[in-house]
Amino acid sequence: MREVYIIGSGLHPWGKFPEKNFVEMGAVAVDRALQDAGVRWEEIQAIMSGILIYGGNAGHLSGQYIESVFGETGVPVVNVYNACATGSAAVRMAYNSVAAGEVDTAIAIGVDFSPKGFLSAKSDDPRQDRDVLRWYMAGMPNPVYWALECRKRFENYGDTPEDLARVKVLLSQYGAENPNARYKKRFTLEEVLHSNMVCDPLRLFEICATSDGAAIVIISADRQKIKAADKPVKIAATTMGSAIYGDPTIRISALSSPAVAEAPLLSESYSASRQAYEKAGLGPEDIDLLELPDNSSWHYLQYLETCGFCGEGEAAALLRSGETEIDGKIAVCPSGGFSSFGEAIGAQAIWQIVEVANQLRGRAGTRQVKNARVGMAQTYGLMGNSGTTILTI
Amino acid sequence: MSMEIMETMEGKIPRLPDLFVWTAEGVKIRSAVCRDCNTYFFPEYHAQHRPGCPRQNVERVLLNNRGRLASYTIQHYMCPPPFKTTGDITPYGIGLVEFPEGICIAGLIMESDLESLKIGLPMETIDYTLYQDEAGNDVVTWAFRVIK
Repeated sequence: MREVYIIGSGLHPWGKFPEKNFVEMGAVAVDRALQDAGVRWEEIQAIMSGILIYGGNAGHLSGQYIESVFGETGVPVVNVYNACATGSAAVRMAYNSVAAGEVDTAIAIGVDFSPKGFLSAKSDDPRQDRDVLRWYMAGMPNPVYWALECRKRFENYGDTPEDLARVKVLLSQYGAENPNARYKKRFTLEEVLHSNMVCDPLRLFEICATSDGAAIVIISADRQKIKAADKPVKIAATTMGSAIYGDPTIRISALSSPAVAEAPLLSESYSASRQAYEKAGLGPEDIDLLELPDNSSWHYLQYLETCGFCGEGEAAALLRSGETEIDGKIAVCPSGGFSSFGEAIGAQAIWQIVEVANQLRGRAGTRQVKNARVGMAQTYGLMGNSGTTILTI
Repeated sequence: MSMEIMETMEGKIPRLPDLFVWTAEGVKIRSAVCRDCNTYFFPEYHAQHRPGCPRQNVERVLLNNRGRLASYTIQHYMCPPPFKTTGDITPYGIGLVEFPEGICIAGLIMESDLESLKIGLPMETIDYTLYQDEAGNDVVTWAFRVIK
């Protein structure tokens, strides 16, 4: 396998853009990535694109629609869906295609828009789509699942409402200084603790919103292109994991879970991260910054443990100690996280990778992690989907 | 299944079929168990075998009517459609109940004092009327309540 680098990246800012369609948002980010990489569209030899589950036929063929804007070149276009780890799948396919020598330069596209109102059921046939059951029979939107797991943490480890609020306070300081973030207000502990209760113990400002956005990386093993790029970033590993039998997590979509654990909580993310550590020959102790999937404050705490940055039950203490701040032992979500961006399902995994790359390229401005050399992007997708990408300079 | 197990009750229709039944001992969740890998499934038609299992001995079973509260939340906003229930039930409880068979099942909690919920409380499975259809039948789901 060849060494593979991110030679360029581009974002469309996160927010709500009802006046735009997803192809327009994707095209903005592709243009920026091409310019950043210094390559022409005709030099892209493979297109791996995340699909938009709420995007209809065009959304399911997002790669073709975006390709046509820049000019159809006949290269392979693959459209992929892995829930919130969709972008991880696109990057992994682009990486594998380049690393294996099939092509020299490929693009991974992540773009999404969120439907109006709440995310809800996509079908009405429970035999075909088990997800229907929770909507018809149990009244369980996504945050309920996180609240059920969060309650277990409170019981098992003594995590407190203040810990959940502290996550939002911290991330809002970073989001305020990130030009691509949707939410830029700096919150106080009091404000978060007085925000509306959504599903106890999770409050409104402790749960991420749904957003629109686009994120692109161009990756290459072409020596000339790597040499010409502005601070290329090496992909040390980009892996995916699915759940492991016996995982006790009550997983979004499901209405059951094993009572006795035979695998770790969030086993798909445990699996993806351990595969990445092995492949990269690196461990949590080597990583300077981590973009984790903070869909809620529970995720922030749980992922520190799931990915091995501290022991079981120790995340709240790590947060309280300040060691997860930008100048701490491990800078966690220096982008501001989903907390400041909101999730754009098909795009967010690539966005996390772009944020990590920007840190390693010294482009993070006031949020810059000093001497950042190794960064990790970790995703979480429902029903056992996860991706881990480790980048180095 | 024996004659005492009823897929429907007079005047009551499950909103979706094959998920629970009425018995002399109360409402019971339908499940399937694989006797090869000792795994319980829910719903019964969603297999979740242990890797390597020969998958030859799956049978339909009913879960015990009683279990313990493994986790819970209090939902303060109405779940969007297709969830449907008469009137505003917010805030409402949602629980994860651990059954003696070794499986946890999620569902609504019917409890007037939501603040009294605690992990470990003994729970029983009941039915809950979501709304009435045009013929005047109660359209129901399974739910849980604390055993007092």
